[in-house]
Amino acid sequence: MALMTGAQYIESLKKLDTKVYLFGEEVKDWVDHPMIKPSIDCLAMTYELAQDPQYADLMTAKSNLTGKTVNRFSHLHQGTDDLIKKVKMQRLLGQKTASCFQRCVGMDAFNAVFSTTYETDKKYGTNYHERFTKFVEYIQENDLVVDGAMTDPKGDRGLAPSQQTDPDMFLRIVEKRADGIVVRGAKCHQTGSINSHEHLIMPTIAMTEADKSFAVSFAIQSDVPGIFMVYGRQSCDTRKMEENADIDLGNKKFGGQEALVVFDDVFIPNERVFLCEEYDFAGMMVERFAGYHRQSYGGCKVGVGDVIIGAAALAADYNGAHKASHIKDKLIEMTHLNETLYCCGIACSAEGYKTQAGNYQIDLLLANVCKQNVTRFPYEIVRLAEDIAGGLMVTMPSQKDFESDLKVGQSGKTIGEWCNKFYAAAPGVSTENRMRILRFLENICLGSSAVGYRTESMHGAGSPQAQRIMIARQGNINQKKELAKAIAGIKE
Amino acid sequence: MLVGVKFCGGCNPRYDRGKALEAIKKQSLEEAEFVIAEEGGEYDTLLVIGGCTNCCASYCQYKVRNDTIRMWDESHIDNTVQILKNGRNDT
Repeated sequence: MALMTGAQYIESLKKLDTKVYLFGEEVKDWVDHPMIKPSIDCLAMTYELAQDPQYADLMTAKSNLTGKTVNRFSHLHQGTDDLIKKVKMQRLLGQKTASCFQRCVGMDAFNAVFSTTYETDKKYGTNYHERFTKFVEYIQENDLVVDGAMTDPKGDRGLAPSQQTDPDMFLRIVEKRADGIVVRGAKCHQTGSINSHEHLIMPTIAMTEADKSFAVSFAIQSDVPGIFMVYGRQSCDTRKMEENADIDLGNKKFGGQEALVVFDDVFIPNERVFLCEEYDFAGMMVERFAGYHRQSYGGCKVGVGDVIIGAAALAADYNGAHKASHIKDKLIEMTHLNETLYCCGIACSAEGYKTQAGNYQIDLLLANVCKQNVTRFPYEIVRLAEDIAGGLMVTMPSQKDFESDLKVGQSGKTIGEWCNKFYAAAPGVSTENRMRILRFLENICLGSSAVGYRTESMHGAGSPQAQRIMIARQGNINQKKELAKAIAGIKE
Repeated sequence: MLVGVKFCGGCNPRYDRGKALEAIKKQSLEEAEFVIAEEGGEYDTLLVIGGCTNCCASYCQYKVRNDTIRMWDESHIDNTVQILKNGRNDT
């Protein structure tokens, strides 16, 4: 099957019977719901750009399984070149959407589960790897979106899954049958889950034997009985419900999405099960997925950062402040921070290695350094953007006020005329364009897009402490001590 | 002369690659027919249009009878046109 277009992808979602709930009610036509549609249009760009020869070198790859051209989001990385192109592809999509385009979690999950199932089979004589390879071929052939689902609600963070008062706090196996398993629980913060055709579930932490019923990985379609999703609210999200909403949205076309995905006693057939109580491999799957996903942020957030830098520079132009040396220096600093994140994404990719299964894994230390920086630098980048933009980005009247023909005051001017008069800035720049760029910055700094650029940078792919733990493990301190001893002449 | 065109992925182009191709086509009309390179296709010349100095587009998968021209800057347009007209690759 040929690669889908964005329009074909959107049509394919309408054929699903996914159960979506928002504001306490089921949303029947969720594909066209104004709060959800921007996230679908954003994900659709992963399809659209793959159709364009100007982007195909990054957006597509040759499948090692079938030899056919596939969307890179369903590709198993075959070398460091693939790892590098993945980061570049994500930067490109960040630039084109200024948003979280959601499809990378599935790609990162594929590659982690592919190599983990190989090693699980080697120890236990299971056939998870063959099953999983068939699943990947199916996804590639049909050009589908997969939600890579890891994060459990977790309950009391001080207790293991098997110690929780409510065992549903971690998704687990509740029944084993001859033809499959039944699972119960939920996955939180699931990016793009509603916009996905399938879900690929992974455990969220390393486990012991006591936790073995929680050591489960499987794939399942979005609309099977027992699965439902509750949409996650975002800052300023109901602006999207306003009539003719445009300027006040900041980014009218694109947005991100997270949801709670509940598995209410869902049956998973054996051919879709890729880990079932082999608890000693849960940690490997988590570590490898987290590594790939931490690499991803060195691409996607950099692309969004590119747009923010451009917007801040435009705001300075429109404000008439572009010649000030401090403005130039702030833009330099934003660029420095943004490209440092990119350096990390490229570095962990270039230092990647071949797994036993044959696909390539990123360098874990450098990927965790990448994400650790991502938990900090976007916050400074938006701080500098707000600095450059000025307070107006959060005090402007609405688009309706700028367009109002209601006369007020004694001189006969309309509200629209007053607003356009007082918010004019540099000559030759329309007040509307000034408002548009400031609203973009408002949205990315503290509106609905701040979810994807700020808080997701903090917690997505693991919170800051998770990377510090990995940096400590991978930091090779003992070897560094030997280096110091050699230089200092210490012979002990 | 059949020229296969391969773009890089465009993650951070320093110039408009699409417009660069249009400029090259306009100046090379008599000498060349331009198509997007496809795997399995055979071309007299392959033109790789990169957006920056990295010029990371993969192109070893195409069959090329003569030269592969790689460009990564707007300033390369004139030289590229000259190569296509004269048949000599200085890149």
